[in-house]
Amino acid sequence: MSGVDLIGVTKVFGHVRALDDVNLQIASGEMVALLGPSGCGKTTLLRSVAGLERPTSGRILIGGQDVTNVPTRDRPIGMVFQSYALFPNLTVRQNIAFPLEVRHRPAAEVKARVDQLLELVRLVPQADRYPNQVSGGQAQRCALGRALAPSPAVLLLDEPLSALDALVRTRLRDEIRRVQQLVKTTAIYVTHDQSEAMAIADRVAVMNHGRIEQVARPPELYESPATHFSATFVGSRNALELPVVNGRVVLGGAFDVPAPAGATDRAVAFFRPEDVEVTSTGAGHPATLEVKIFLGSTTRLHLLTEVDGRQARFYADMPSREALAYEPGAKLAVRIDPADVKTFPVE
Amino acid sequence: MTATTVTSVGETREPLRPARIGQAIMFVGLFTYFTLPMVAVFLYSIATRWTANILPDGYTLDWWVSAFTDQAVIGAFGSTLVLATLTAVLDIAVVVPAAYWSRVRNPRIRTIVELSAAIPFALPYLVIGFGLLQFSGIVAPALQGTFPLLVVGHAAIAFPFLYWAVDGAMAAAGIERLSEAAEACGGSPAQIVRRVVLPNIKPGVVTGGLLAFATSFGEFAMVQTIARGVYTVPIWSAEAIRSYSGESGAFNRLAAVTMVNFIVLFALSAAVVYFNRGQTVRLLPGARNIEQREQG
Repeated sequence: MSGVDLIGVTKVFGHVRALDDVNLQIASGEMVALLGPSGCGKTTLLRSVAGLERPTSGRILIGGQDVTNVPTRDRPIGMVFQSYALFPNLTVRQNIAFPLEVRHRPAAEVKARVDQLLELVRLVPQADRYPNQVSGGQAQRCALGRALAPSPAVLLLDEPLSALDALVRTRLRDEIRRVQQLVKTTAIYVTHDQSEAMAIADRVAVMNHGRIEQVARPPELYESPATHFSATFVGSRNALELPVVNGRVVLGGAFDVPAPAGATDRAVAFFRPEDVEVTSTGAGHPATLEVKIFLGSTTRLHLLTEVDGRQARFYADMPSREALAYEPGAKLAVRIDPADVKTFPVE
Repeated sequence: MTATTVTSVGETREPLRPARIGQAIMFVGLFTYFTLPMVAVFLYSIATRWTANILPDGYTLDWWVSAFTDQAVIGAFGSTLVLATLTAVLDIAVVVPAAYWSRVRNPRIRTIVELSAAIPFALPYLVIGFGLLQFSGIVAPALQGTFPLLVVGHAAIAFPFLYWAVDGAMAAAGIERLSEAAEACGGSPAQIVRRVVLPNIKPGVVTGGLLAFATSFGEFAMVQTIARGVYTVPIWSAEAIRSYSGESGAFNRLAAVTMVNFIVLFALSAAVVYFNRGQTVRLLPGARNIEQREQG
């Protein structure tokens, strides 16, 4: 009942089109991640849903209601900021109570609801501390509790984990997901971290230059990026620029795939390191092992090869046990299944 | 300072190094430079006669009693306090919303506010006073020479101190983000100001208010220019010197009044330092920019 519809949302700052005709439908209870580099418009889009920015044109609907001209305080939203933005003069408990108190809810109801939320975000022991007396992760959980207090139709999260260190980040990410699924609220999650976006969201919207390039479920986005930009931005991918010859893109004996539509001269071939098959004796394209990087269960091989008369480097990932067989300097042969190669025209 | 104290604990038995002696001499010299005049004024205010010797010939509280039973002195203190209080209140009422607005709603007016905050330092108060007289002559001739116009004048010269203190407090509290967060929580503008903005900039408002109060309290030139009829403590002091005709005790009473004036301003300064937790240097214009640059 409380999905979000963005219809032709455009925002112009001076000469810059921060948002360029953005259309997106978010189902009730769904979490969508807005993923993109800084300056791609993802935060502007989130702030437009919050009402902190007014779109130049287009409409924003929450639960079917047009809220385009509704001020922030009257929108059914809860928001979590990168910098926590907790009120330093209020305790954790008072921070969570704030949205209820400004709505003049009865004191008993406020207390019951706040107790419930403290439980939900696991801050009961810290309830009476001030924001500067809790850790970053606890502060952000408090901010989450505060955002959820008025039972908003939409939860807006603006890079909520960016200020935290790596260990806390993954734990809080899973925590946010758990809470969001528990309360079944619709959520929009802004991040520039692709692994974060794919781990937490039902769908990921990849943004670039104020436009949505692709909206897809994480596995789909990972397996088949729809655009050149999606392919570069999502997943750690090898990108090799190759000539188009007779309508085909070929990397020696490694792969031979049809050229993408619109590519006449050169094309970029994307393939993931884990899809590179490496052998020391078998058929394939010759490559030299430069460096081995141990990553735990996998090892990444930095390979040097010759493409089109020039040197090119790319990566191959393999189980660490298998990588033991190879030493830097080894002459290897590589092959990539054509199904794992995505090609796009050179932009 | 803390670092020096800590190291000196372990080094108490070491012989004094030349650098340490130099520091001590500097400190004593500076301390004497600041306190000696005040000690002299105080001694003079309680001296029966002070002529040939290094210390007064005898001591009395008569001058203090006669000064502070004098209706003119009491009146001067009264109007100075009212003037300084109204100045601080008017400045707070105008500057806090302006600073908030310039941060949260319209950053473009910052340039104007910061420029006008520099004017009281670029122009002598006398010039500002005459300007205000000219201007009031055009828009409100009835106000000329009155107390309200003087309050406006003092508010105009004292507001930069308040502005810097409040703006600094807003920057430190990240008031833009807090306002947005409060808005997203459903707070109305009044609720945001009362429950979020004011509590988080209180030290800045108190500090700035005290500085505005102190500025008005000791100001002389503008009172002279704008409102000749208003009798403040500095005016009383100036008259006491000007009209001196050899009567005994006139300067001793002046010393007593000066002493009280000093104590008031010193207490205000101490309060400012207290409310800024020893970070008073941050009130200086540009201090924040330097800090940010160092952090970045």
